[in-house]
Amino acid sequence: MEQEELSKRRSIPFKEQMTIIKRILSFASPYRNQFILAIFFSIALAVTNAALPRIIQIFIDDHLAAGAVALQTILFFAGLHLGVTILRMTVWYFELYIFNMASEKTVQNIRFHLFKKLHNLGMRFFDQTSTGWIITRATNDTEAMKDFWHVFLTIMQGVFGVVISLGAMFLLDVTVTLWILIFAPVLLLVIRFYQVYSSRTYREMKSKLSLLNTKLAETINGMSVIKQFRQERRLQKEFEETNKSYFDSRFSMVRINALLLSPVINMLYTLSVVLILAIFGVEALNSPIEVGIIYAFTSYANDFFRPLTRLMDSLSLFQDGVVSSSRILTVMDNEEYVPEQKDDANAKVKDGKVEFKNVSFSYDGENNVLNDISFTVNPGETVALVGHTGSGKSSIINVLMRFYEFQKGEVLIDGQSIREFPIRELRQRTGLVLQDSFLFYGTIKDNIRLMNKAITDREIIEAARFVQADQFIEDLPGQYNARVVERGASFSSGQKQLISFASTIVRDPKILILDEATANIDTETESLIQEGLERMRQGRTTVAIAHRLSTIRDANQILVLDKGHIVERGTHDELISSGGLYKDMYELQNIGLQA
Amino acid sequence: MGIFKRLSWFFKQEKKSYMIGVAGLLIVAVLQLIPPRIIGIVVDEIDTNTITQESLTFWLLILASTAVFQYVLRYMWRVRIWGNAAKLEQIVRKQLYDHFTNMDNQFFQKYRTGDLMAHATNDLRGLRMVAGGGILTMADALSVGLTTLLAMVFIVDWRLTLLAIIPLPFLALASRVLGRKLHLRFRDAQAAFSQLNDKVQESIQGIKVIKTFGQEKEDIEEFSVQTDNVVLKNKSVYKIDSLFDPTITFIMGISYFLTILVGGLLISGNEISIGDFVTFINYIGMLVWPMFAIGRLFNIIERGSASYDRIENLLNEDTSIEERQGAIDAPISGELNYAVDSFRYPDDNTEALNSIHFKLEAGGTLGIVGKTGAGKTTILKLLLREYDDYKGKIEYGRYDIRDYTLDALLKHVGYVPQDNYLFSNTIRENIRFADPSLSQEAVEAAAKLADIHADIVDLPEGYDTEVGERGVSLSGGQKQRISIARAILINPELMILDDSLSAVDAKTEESILSGLKKIRTGQTTIIAAHRISSVMHAEEIIVIDSGKIVERGTHNTLLAIDGWYKDMFEQQQLERKIEGGDE
Repeated sequence: MEQEELSKRRSIPFKEQMTIIKRILSFASPYRNQFILAIFFSIALAVTNAALPRIIQIFIDDHLAAGAVALQTILFFAGLHLGVTILRMTVWYFELYIFNMASEKTVQNIRFHLFKKLHNLGMRFFDQTSTGWIITRATNDTEAMKDFWHVFLTIMQGVFGVVISLGAMFLLDVTVTLWILIFAPVLLLVIRFYQVYSSRTYREMKSKLSLLNTKLAETINGMSVIKQFRQERRLQKEFEETNKSYFDSRFSMVRINALLLSPVINMLYTLSVVLILAIFGVEALNSPIEVGIIYAFTSYANDFFRPLTRLMDSLSLFQDGVVSSSRILTVMDNEEYVPEQKDDANAKVKDGKVEFKNVSFSYDGENNVLNDISFTVNPGETVALVGHTGSGKSSIINVLMRFYEFQKGEVLIDGQSIREFPIRELRQRTGLVLQDSFLFYGTIKDNIRLMNKAITDREIIEAARFVQADQFIEDLPGQYNARVVERGASFSSGQKQLISFASTIVRDPKILILDEATANIDTETESLIQEGLERMRQGRTTVAIAHRLSTIRDANQILVLDKGHIVERGTHDELISSGGLYKDMYELQNIGLQA
Repeated sequence: MGIFKRLSWFFKQEKKSYMIGVAGLLIVAVLQLIPPRIIGIVVDEIDTNTITQESLTFWLLILASTAVFQYVLRYMWRVRIWGNAAKLEQIVRKQLYDHFTNMDNQFFQKYRTGDLMAHATNDLRGLRMVAGGGILTMADALSVGLTTLLAMVFIVDWRLTLLAIIPLPFLALASRVLGRKLHLRFRDAQAAFSQLNDKVQESIQGIKVIKTFGQEKEDIEEFSVQTDNVVLKNKSVYKIDSLFDPTITFIMGISYFLTILVGGLLISGNEISIGDFVTFINYIGMLVWPMFAIGRLFNIIERGSASYDRIENLLNEDTSIEERQGAIDAPISGELNYAVDSFRYPDDNTEALNSIHFKLEAGGTLGIVGKTGAGKTTILKLLLREYDDYKGKIEYGRYDIRDYTLDALLKHVGYVPQDNYLFSNTIRENIRFADPSLSQEAVEAAAKLADIHADIVDLPEGYDTEVGERGVSLSGGQKQRISIARAILINPELMILDDSLSAVDAKTEESILSGLKKIRTGQTTIIAAHRISSVMHAEEIIVIDSGKIVERGTHNTLLAIDGWYKDMFEQQQLERKIEGGDE
């Protein structure tokens, strides 16, 4: 995905840009009315803008030029000017406010769809994509959409401003306006030049800045290596080179902006004033003309040229917006969905009998990680899975939890295919206790309830008591309402385990899937955890991955996995007496315990 | 304004450039006055019918040349002032970078990467705004504001001017007040956004839990609550943000109102001409920006000086690792005499090392074993001078290591750490990190010794393969071997392997260790490991527990003691047997 991004950085063909923009624009459709209203206000703004010079022009030509003017007339024109200004101010405020809110809501809409989409993607997507990448898409790229929308506002304001001031000029004098239009090709040329040079330099500047920041971050992260090899001076020099080259592109950006942005537009405006004065002046040499019109024209010329600077300036932001949009759309287009259940799935979990029949499964479609796995767990019984890392234990859980789709064989619950249960039924009736308990920001209660509003406080306390998490929870300030900070940093790994036990047990699942923690757990909670596990297993069908073999000695069946095959199976005593891999592993752990 | 004083070193350094820039600005400010005046004059000449071909040509030529002059000068000052701003950013960025590379461990524990990055990006931007936008608005606002005002008074009419500018100070006030309010609301909006970020982060990191409990729908609902909050906070931003332009319009509208009113009366009374009136109206339009800019200036300065405070704070931090005056320049050699009586980490009361004494002859090998967290790495950290503050001494060839220059010590120590940090660069550059001028042959030789050459050649682009964040992901074992090659390449007097063979299998370990032994005759080696097989051939092995030496001897004498070492050895033998059955 990173590679893909780099190539997008370079430049996107025009046609693709259009499709991207069209698709992203579709998220604005619920707010169409607001946008239309904003456009209406934008036109009204340009119109009031054009009315103001006209008022002064009429005041000059019809009254001031004619000689002494009554106070009443003067007051009327001053008042009219102020009135239109107030109207203009009101219209402007609403234009900005309505447009900004509509784009804010559009961004919210995009975020919502993106987030929903993420939840519809299967574990494969999350296992393969870096967390940081996904987060950036959902936050920064959607945030960048606001700038993107602002570009549209600028374009809209610019276009209306230019068109309406031109229209106002036409109303005043067609010939002079046509003369002014000779500036149009020059302007187009300037805009084109600016676009070509600035977009290239801007891209260069941005990529250099990101290189600069990457280097900085890497230096900080790899500081100990740098110090050990005494490479400080070399890296300082290298960094300074990048720093300098960033400065160079920033400086050329400054140059381009100074050369082709507001100074040139300003010059063109002044030259247009020269043209206007020349035309009217020459006319005046022959016959007297009204002078207010000269004022009005110079003023319209200003309105005509002024928006262009901002318009051109926002072109680079437009490019950024397209890039962000395309990244958002990559996520929207991802098709790594969660495994599908059958359409008419309505089976219910009753007894909780679990069966694997000749199940084969592969992550990549080529190399099987599970080969022809068959076993049965009767209601209320426990089966334990043991084996090295990569032997396939976790894959069995991935299949049973429907995190991944398996390719061959059958997985049955109470004799019915696992695909025939609604996903919610499966999730509610099977409780998975994860290896690394993840706690969310919130309270202890929130973490046990995990957003299921049907669970009462009473049930939470009972569940905590059942797994003996109540002891440490009740010692906390605020007890069940105690805050859990980011990822539960203030709790020991054992305490976190107990909390996650409680959140599993409060749902009273029929089938229990245990993924025992490998991490070192503090000895104080260790015994609580063992006891908790035992209690939870009572009366529930259990599939357990065990690292400490002593904890599963009483399992009804132990499956020893190696490279996706079941290589040994039986009870603890049977496996010990047959003297295979299991026996070795068991002895090893016994020595380890003594040490 | 204090910030300008604090940055005076830079302004002095770029004095010439700033002077040219500001001079350009001033001349532009004066030139700007010409077009409205010429419009006014031409209007008057037309109005009074005094216009002639010559006068028209004259005025138009002046106007056209002003246009060109303005363009040239505008270009000049923009390049100067904005260029200087970029330069300031570059200089301070370099200062920060150099400073970071000179800091000790404590510094990096105090400031997290994210914080340092934020200072190096956001605060530099704030500073750039002061040196560019700040200077610009100040000079521009003052020059344009003043000259326009003077022109209004002297060219047109002082009474009209006095009345028309009454509303203008409110413009500065409004931009200041709105700017402040906006800043506060914007901060709230930022906070809401970062809460949203946290929410997304949690959901993605905890996706498995959410899926396990089937709480997708509820999670989406919670997310919606967060986005609603973001919208709400932004709404209050927009309420203020959308006020800026309309407010200017309104205040200017009052000015125009007064101008039309009083101007109309003055024209009626024949005190001023219509041309004067037109000139005046244009001048008023030119005052909008300087007034508004003054208000903005305060906000820029406020933020800029807060940024500079934070940057200076960082730059004022000191390192505790310093070279002594007249430190020994000659590379370390000879016998290592490690005699640390006691060491505590700064800000930690527990003793990390207690009475660690050992001697290691030149060419000898020492093994250090013990549980994770026993203090093995700490012993090595002192040797690498990551911390200088301990009781006791560490001598290399009769001199305390703190009496050597850092180059004399560290350039001759090849340390392979536990966590193998590789840079986003090619494998070749990572291996010859200590000296990029080394040849491909040398790199390959080191890679072969570290038993990684074959792996590298198998990669699609061989030694040119990019690693690190953007490149291919290597296995832990491959990374370890690359960092071993990185250390081998400098042919160090002292080589330290700090649990750096943990992710390679037993056979590879053996081949690396025997290879090292062969080429490192007469050079010293320390191997810290969890795996006994890594150290069993060492001349002396020390067993560390809770920062103390609990057992010491050779492999055979330690086995005879029947302690931790022996237990560990037997357990690992069995592990190997099972691993063996695996293959």
